[in-house]
Amino acid sequence: MLNKQRRKLIIPFLAPSLILYLVFFIYPTIQGLGVSLDDWSGFKLPLKFIGLLNFKNLLTMDDNFVIALKNSMYLFFVGGFVIFAVAFLFTSFLSSGIKAKNFFRGILFFPNVIAPIAVVTIWQFLYNPRFGLLNGFLNIIGLGQFDQSWAAPGRIFPAITVIITWMAIGYYLVLLLAAADKIPQDVYDAGRVDGANTWQMFWLVTLPMIWDVIGILLVLWMISAMKQFEIAYAFSSTGSVPPESYTLPIYVVVEGFGMREPIYRLGYASAVGCVLLFIVVILTIVIRRLFKREAIQY
Amino acid sequence: MDTNIKESKPRSRVGGQLSRSLPHIPMYVILGLFAVFNIFVIVWVALASFKTNRQLYANVWSLPVSFALTNYIKAWTTVKMSQYFLNSLIVVTLSVILTLVVSAPAAYVLTRIKFRGSNFITQFFIAGMGVPAAVLFIPLFDMLSKIKMVDNLAGLILVYIVLAIPFTTFLLTGFFSSLPVELEESAAIDGASPLAVFIRIMLPLASPGLLTAAILNFVSTWNEYMLALIFITSDKNRTISLGLYALQSSMQYTGDWVGMFAGVVILMIPIVIIFVFLSRRMISGITMGAIK
Repeated sequence: MLNKQRRKLIIPFLAPSLILYLVFFIYPTIQGLGVSLDDWSGFKLPLKFIGLLNFKNLLTMDDNFVIALKNSMYLFFVGGFVIFAVAFLFTSFLSSGIKAKNFFRGILFFPNVIAPIAVVTIWQFLYNPRFGLLNGFLNIIGLGQFDQSWAAPGRIFPAITVIITWMAIGYYLVLLLAAADKIPQDVYDAGRVDGANTWQMFWLVTLPMIWDVIGILLVLWMISAMKQFEIAYAFSSTGSVPPESYTLPIYVVVEGFGMREPIYRLGYASAVGCVLLFIVVILTIVIRRLFKREAIQY
Repeated sequence: MDTNIKESKPRSRVGGQLSRSLPHIPMYVILGLFAVFNIFVIVWVALASFKTNRQLYANVWSLPVSFALTNYIKAWTTVKMSQYFLNSLIVVTLSVILTLVVSAPAAYVLTRIKFRGSNFITQFFIAGMGVPAAVLFIPLFDMLSKIKMVDNLAGLILVYIVLAIPFTTFLLTGFFSSLPVELEESAAIDGASPLAVFIRIMLPLASPGLLTAAILNFVSTWNEYMLALIFITSDKNRTISLGLYALQSSMQYTGDWVGMFAGVVILMIPIVIIFVFLSRRMISGITMGAIK
């Protein structure tokens, strides 16, 4: 009787969000898949069906696409490795009973809430070879031989990766801490009775028990890395984005909306978008499979 | 819950006993270095925003000579940060509120009423979290330009709402499903209509979750500039992050670092305020979703 009455709510309550989602999210996504099969040179111009030609060109002849793909993968693997290594390390520190845990957690998380454009401005200054803080600091502490152009062509993307990593560590630290905190104390106590020290406790107790959560976090990071646009796009010393800094989303925007020249290759850009979506789906499946484990009930 | 270990040692976390605090020193050092770096960077930028460019180039480490607000006034007026700030305030506030208006009822029926397909629809919404915006913004731009919603704030609000739906639904369904069922049943027995039950009982109960979703959406929408870059083309409609981006692109020619820093501070102020007062809620919101 309760349920019958409540069922009347379903449609009016669900409709607005479902309709918005279908019309302005799902439908454009599907359209994007369709458009990738066309040659489309401008928003007011007609589409010409060309089948898989866009994809063929993309995968065989396009150097910039290869750069964008390499960068996105570099960010995911290298950036991810650093982020998770540091986040694990800090989680084990903060879970070992030291004081000011919440203080550290807050300070380390803070970079995550700064606007990416502001973060870029700050780091551009840090990296500046002539009067930037990084070189200045190195000179002050006597390591002046390391004074260099941190973001020179050839190293722009690693420099960008450092920035993204700095912002992200706190986020994954917070999540790992929450997961580690849920492990009940008796498990640790049993470990302590068996003579484990902090380090062993982390590797042999904490890590296995949060293994499936780690899988979820890796998926979150992968999606985040594949979506990366704002930091790489804004971080450039010449005012327009060099191909060296491309990520897949940046490439979609560059090909689709042009940068300084009004050349719109909208079908081609959509094809890049398709490849991006495909990569996200595949990696999600792979990661989930690697980290799958029956949930330990506790 | 405390376990019943009958030992004379003090109850403490893993390895946290007094005799073991020595190994903690390197931990404090490493954590401390990172923390100091973070604090230092922010404080330095804030201080630098009060300098002139000449003072900055002369000595990057010096304290500002005076705390004159010249850079801020210039950013606010000449550079039109005031306009951008206002735009962001309107766009972000409205999109956050409307996202809740649209998603909370949906999350409620998806979790509290068992109907066929409810699980599928929930997963369907959540799957949207994995779709990069880059995949859909070309057709979306085309669609919106046909209905004249490009380069206006309403169109941007629409985009923000739609893109926030997956995550917000994810968060709210998680939250709603953790609320006790008995209250609804007893209210129904008392003769309240389902709508009244939702408005008078469930919404107030869910307010921590709603607030958390609001805060997280506010911060991410305030900070973003990618979508604004695509959907806003004229200067007067820029949001504040986009404005800072535009400023930065032009800074290549002016070299006005201190002006940029003032812009950075202006941009960060609302977020810092939120963070100082609500960081615990933000953090619990983030973990609530991923760590059930």
